[in-house]
Amino acid sequence: MSLYNKIIAIYSELSDYDFCFGDIKLQNDSDGNGDYIAKWEHPTLPRPTEEQLA
Amino acid sequence: MAITINGSGTIGGVSVGGLPDGIVDTDMLASAAVEQAKIASGVVGTGPAFHAYNNSGDVSISVNSFSKVTLNAESYDTNNCFDTSNYRFTPNVAGYYQFTSRVSVGGSSMSRALATLAKNGTMFIYGNDIPTNVYGTVCDGLIYLNGTTDYVELYIYITATNPQFGGGIGNTFLQGFLARAA
Repeated sequence: MSLYNKIIAIYSELSDYDFCFGDIKLQNDSDGNGDYIAKWEHPTLPRPTEEQLA
Repeated sequence: MAITINGSGTIGGVSVGGLPDGIVDTDMLASAAVEQAKIASGVVGTGPAFHAYNNSGDVSISVNSFSKVTLNAESYDTNNCFDTSNYRFTPNVAGYYQFTSRVSVGGSSMSRALATLAKNGTMFIYGNDIPTNVYGTVCDGLIYLNGTTDYVELYIYITATNPQFGGGIGNTFLQGFLARAA
């Protein structure tokens, strides 16, 4: 499951817009380390923990 | 021809056009002494210019994540400033660089694709946000780079099932050049 899908499973109220132009940025630097949360500045939803994303 | 040394650091008596080639070099010119009007027409700068592209065919990426586009081939790279191992342009001359890029995109039920130029790892200029059934997104922009540590990369964001970008010299590329020195 992708990082995006894991986050949506936790916060179903988030939309594509939140990830594209909003307060959340997922990034993959094509270096073999996979997706990561580059920015999480959502005004109400806390950043998911590593346990939640595991 | 009489040459007079007047004791104040100047030489008089040198006729117009009297200096042969090779007498005056860069070190003999004062800083900022060459004006625009003194540059001949048809002369352009010799700053960095490059064109890098992906030649790997279709590359799968993650949905809704800004993924760096793997630009693993070059058409030209005048100053060897583009690195095809980390897909990064790090120029060796400070100034304002004009970039043009395009990414061919695909995936099932695609509803968004967005090419983005990143400066030093952070999204900097967003391209056109394309909807369903359009297969290429472009991103252009002018970015200042310090000529030592600053770098630019191309990222792609796709909302689709099984998102991917395509390869090809004219399909998925990043090109740029020094438009104005710092």
